[in-house]
Amino acid sequence: MNHLRSFVRRTAVRLSVSQVKSRQFLQRSVVAVGSLAVLGSCATNAPQDTWQPKGPNAKMIDDLQQPVFAVAGIIGIIVCAAVAYAVWRYKDRGQPIPEQVHGKPALEITLTVIPALILAVVGVFTFRVIFDLARTDDTQLVINVTGQQWWWEYDYPVQNEWGITQPIISSGQLVMPAGVKVLLRETSRDVIHSYWIPALNGKRDAVPGRVHTLRLEADEPGIYAGQCTEFCGLSHANMRMEAVALSPTDFAKWVANQQAAYQTPAADSLAKQGEDVFLNQCVRCHQIDGLKRADGTLAIAAPDENVWSGAAPNLTKLMTRNTFAGAMFDLLRNACRDDVWNAPSAEFGAKYLAGVDESCLNVSDLRAWLRNAPEVKPMYANPALLADTNGKYRGMPNLGLSESDIDKLVAYLLTLK
Amino acid sequence: MFKAGSKLFLGLTGFSALNLIAYIVFVERLALGGVALSMVFAAFVGLSAVVLITNEGDSETQPRDAALTRTSMWPLVTVVGVVLLILGLVVAQIYFILGIVVVLAALTEWLVLSWSESASDDVAHNESARHRLLHPIEFPVIATLGLGVIIFSFSRIMLAISKSAGAVVFMVVATLVLLVGTWFALRPALKTALVSGICVIGAVGIVAGGIGGTGAGLRTDLAEAAAEGHYTHRECGEKKSKYFDKKAMKTLSLRSNAAAIIELRDGKLSAVVNGFATPQRSVTAARGNPVTFIFRNFDSAERRMVASLGSAMPAGTAEAGDDEHSDKNETCTQLIPQGAEQGLTITYNKPSIAQDMPLTLTVPGLPGQSIEVVVP
Repeated sequence: MNHLRSFVRRTAVRLSVSQVKSRQFLQRSVVAVGSLAVLGSCATNAPQDTWQPKGPNAKMIDDLQQPVFAVAGIIGIIVCAAVAYAVWRYKDRGQPIPEQVHGKPALEITLTVIPALILAVVGVFTFRVIFDLARTDDTQLVINVTGQQWWWEYDYPVQNEWGITQPIISSGQLVMPAGVKVLLRETSRDVIHSYWIPALNGKRDAVPGRVHTLRLEADEPGIYAGQCTEFCGLSHANMRMEAVALSPTDFAKWVANQQAAYQTPAADSLAKQGEDVFLNQCVRCHQIDGLKRADGTLAIAAPDENVWSGAAPNLTKLMTRNTFAGAMFDLLRNACRDDVWNAPSAEFGAKYLAGVDESCLNVSDLRAWLRNAPEVKPMYANPALLADTNGKYRGMPNLGLSESDIDKLVAYLLTLK
Repeated sequence: MFKAGSKLFLGLTGFSALNLIAYIVFVERLALGGVALSMVFAAFVGLSAVVLITNEGDSETQPRDAALTRTSMWPLVTVVGVVLLILGLVVAQIYFILGIVVVLAALTEWLVLSWSESASDDVAHNESARHRLLHPIEFPVIATLGLGVIIFSFSRIMLAISKSAGAVVFMVVATLVLLVGTWFALRPALKTALVSGICVIGAVGIVAGGIGGTGAGLRTDLAEAAAEGHYTHRECGEKKSKYFDKKAMKTLSLRSNAAAIIELRDGKLSAVVNGFATPQRSVTAARGNPVTFIFRNFDSAERRMVASLGSAMPAGTAEAGDDEHSDKNETCTQLIPQGAEQGLTITYNKPSIAQDMPLTLTVPGLPGQSIEVVVP
């Protein structure tokens, strides 16, 4: 009998300790998750924060979502509190089951009408914002945007009012004038992608065969980060983009530079040898406007013969951009990059237009990319596994370049400014 | 457990497996032959399973002291299949394939019949054993073939008669089927012979109609369309093409999100591009990407839009390599009247700088009116 009592006591103690531990674990978990959520909202370096609009289009969305979130939050708190109260107040304490009543028309109508009214008010303002964001008649600058696995191409149609007298084609970074209503005309070459610069506007899908429009406008010069938001394959997470807003004066300088004639590197220089390597290897897919072969003919890339999407980034003026490989890597070293990103608006244009020089070049990532691109960015670029794409690559393959060739190419690419 | 029938089928299964392995190893892994041999193997596996599961029609419980045979049509059918097979080697592949099917079916039936007749000295039991093995295969196959013949015959009737007569025939036949089916359902006591007779008469009637329709040939408009091949080539001149421009479509189901709308008004061509406040004289098209232009004709005359494709032929256009009807590298809409619109989807794989001449959108008969397509 004593044994039995002892066993019951020990078991009760064990159970009691176990319950206390479980409760402590639960409490700590709730505190940890809550702390993370609170601390997460305190992040200052969050370039893709949807709550920090930097242009009128994003502000329109923000002005809508702030009150909607507030109303939804208040209603959420009221509902949760009511549920918690009901759970606590009427939990089973052995009391008799209360009288079961069915039908309270006044209450039911009220509880139907109030949400309907709230939604109607929200709907009115939402539709207004949707229509405002769909406007195209006030466009000041048009830029075509084409998505493909896994980078964005930008081409600027001829627009004499902006000094664009011949098409400009670029990739990775969208350059636009600040304070100007820009209209992106989006499409895709392969699968559906989605263009999103959170600080400047919402998302818009880029769909093959269709042209969708997206308004962008930045209040101040600066760089605004974005990310493809439609899952598009292996390197979707690495399909980034940056919108660079310049003052109209700086934008004019950028336009002029982009249209400037190609400069062949000095004879017998390392860069000149790099040009030869480019002509032998890279020009199969990558276009550099104005680049000529030894016989004087224009070197015209043929990505349609080698790449599944039919295009590869145009590398004309590559070193005027700050990123490469679908904006996955920076062309600038960290210190130089921070210098540009954190520059005051007034100084930003000059720093950005300075481009990339040898002292600031992120040479390690660039060399790694040239050495074996698929190793640093997941792509379908294994020559043995291209049966489904008729031998065409989705991404840059390993070209098997020697270290000497890479030296030459880096020297050559540095001249593309 | 393993008797004559199961040994035979298991042997055939093993033999087909060896064939399949040999084919995969020595010929090609993913070829059609491998698939066909896989199917043969699967079929024998199935038959072996049936034979084993049915224990060869429980033949061990029956006395085996007699061998009763009857006349069989399967040797004759096999010969017909062999003839078709040989004929197919000379005349056309379809006969060869048909011959293989007939020979395989006849041999299977023959084989099972022979096996069932030796199962016991009870004719009824032997017949039952054969049915148990083959009816699950025969009934679906015969039903499929029968339905196929009925559907094919009915389609021949519908293709031979005019559109309005076709609608009437369809309604009459459908009504008859519904009424007769309802009658059958309401009178379950009807004699089987009567029901079968009505069904056979209906089927024979449709087959006879199909034979008649085949003899009469396609109705006039279908025959013309087949002979002309409306869309097999494009003729992009100013004049109306006898074939390509016939029954031109005048409207589009999908107007939104085109690259540009090309309008012809008062003899002038302009491009309406979303985002540009004024009509444009040039449009930009991304390289290697299908772009859709919508052509709207507000001119009183019938007009078409022609897209020059440059010296480097883009892929994905219907007229690629079609030098029989045009020596120009171009594609076009049909000739459309005033107020009509058509779309034209083009993929420019090469940039403008690779072309000898500018890429353009023009309207034949309107010199000087041209929209340049810029492919960066």
